[in-house]
Amino acid sequence: MANISLKNVLRPGFVGRTFKSGYRFQRYWDTPMATAFFCGESGAGVFIVSMLLNFMPGVILGLLITGVGKTFFHLSHMGVPSKSWRAILRPDRSWISRGLWGIIFFVGFGVIHVISELFGLVPEVLIKPAYFLGLAGAIVVVVYQGFAMSHSTAISLWNTGLMPLSSMLYGLLSGVSMVMALGVLDLYATDESQLLMVTLFQKILLVAVFMTILSLLHGAKHGSKGARQSYELLTSDFLARPFLIGVIGIGTIMPFLLLMFAPVNFLTTLTATVSILFGFYLYRVLIFKAGVMDPILTPADMFGK
Amino acid sequence: MTSYGMVFDVKRCIGCNACTVACKQENSLPDGVFFTRTLSAEVGEFPNVSRTYLPTICNHCEDAPCEKVCPSGATYSRDDGIVMVDGALCIGCGSCAVACPYDMRTKIEETQLTNGLFGEGNLTPFEEQGYTRFECGTFTKCDFCSERVDAGKDPACVATCPTDARVFGDLDNPDSKVSRLIRDRVGRQPLPEKNTRPKVFYID
Repeated sequence: MANISLKNVLRPGFVGRTFKSGYRFQRYWDTPMATAFFCGESGAGVFIVSMLLNFMPGVILGLLITGVGKTFFHLSHMGVPSKSWRAILRPDRSWISRGLWGIIFFVGFGVIHVISELFGLVPEVLIKPAYFLGLAGAIVVVVYQGFAMSHSTAISLWNTGLMPLSSMLYGLLSGVSMVMALGVLDLYATDESQLLMVTLFQKILLVAVFMTILSLLHGAKHGSKGARQSYELLTSDFLARPFLIGVIGIGTIMPFLLLMFAPVNFLTTLTATVSILFGFYLYRVLIFKAGVMDPILTPADMFGK
Repeated sequence: MTSYGMVFDVKRCIGCNACTVACKQENSLPDGVFFTRTLSAEVGEFPNVSRTYLPTICNHCEDAPCEKVCPSGATYSRDDGIVMVDGALCIGCGSCAVACPYDMRTKIEETQLTNGLFGEGNLTPFEEQGYTRFECGTFTKCDFCSERVDAGKDPACVATCPTDARVFGDLDNPDSKVSRLIRDRVGRQPLPEKNTRPKVFYID
């Protein structure tokens, strides 16, 4: 964050925390929050895909990534972690609150589902409700962070319906990729048609993610002043290299080419999964770092002088 | 119904930042925390250059985005329209800070309360009594000096302004000074495109 803060002041038009009128970066949601978002979306994604394919290792992995990883990074971000439970209080108006309810349903009923599948200790009457409520919670978790960002009118880059869409697509893509990496040998041996279906779904999701990122950049380029600054940061300034090479190149194009032209085996699948997850994590971090607030107009602009 | 708001006369503002100092003093704000700031901007091109000043403060929006996104209920609006933060309820998630288009939310860091204005933890008696109102890790902002308003006084920044560039009053009363200034001199709101309906207006 220190380097970013320095550039914040040095970049033309950016004023940092000085008493000048100009562009300011959002500075309160940083890497721990981005990591928590990444864990939430990828964990919920692998859980959803695994539940639909009845793939128990993926279900457990999804619960661990969200239940442990997301919780840890959220708590490390919070100013007052001991009071974090209070975030459940306003589901009527706050997406953070709705998301926390989603996590509670997802992890709570997900664990009941795992206990029922592995040990058979759950009463018959609870098995189906646990399955569906856990799945419903995971669906909320995979999209709510996008909604939380898109509701920020302050940051024009985020203030778009593409945010929840990218959350959902990236979450499902991560989920499908992790299921493939964990179960490709198993699927190859038992059900080749299911393997083909999952790889096709993975390719479709990769194209959809790629198109969503391009749409996001297009919207930012033609958006408000702050959004245009975000666009420049991501495409031609100090965030451009990690964004263009990491998020777009390694995160979408490389795995797509691998999945299209390389033979389906464990090494190819693992490489594609790692590059997709790397690109997704970088996307989350860079979208936070590129969050720019529109400048408040100077009297000269405001009164047309 | 009362609805408090503020008018900034940018023609009168001289950029002295007396308001900033008065606010820090009134609210015992730690190092690096400002509830109000007077921003400056250079306009024009050499040789026709001038500097203008833009006082900024929490806009106590009618449709406050910070209040809508707060998951713990720490941010709320009083009946008189003042948007408040209850530090005891705030969990420090930062949702309000990324939702506020005016960048008017500040996090109270532990070091700010322990180091003090002069550093090395040597708190003055003024700081010792003042910092008790803050809780570390929570977010805070201007509350239009609600204790002063409740006592029938103007906020500290308004009372201090040497040029009367800041005017405070009831926006719902058509005869109040703020209402007349907004009506007669066409008050403009900051970033109206954000649809937050700010209760702070600028006149020129």
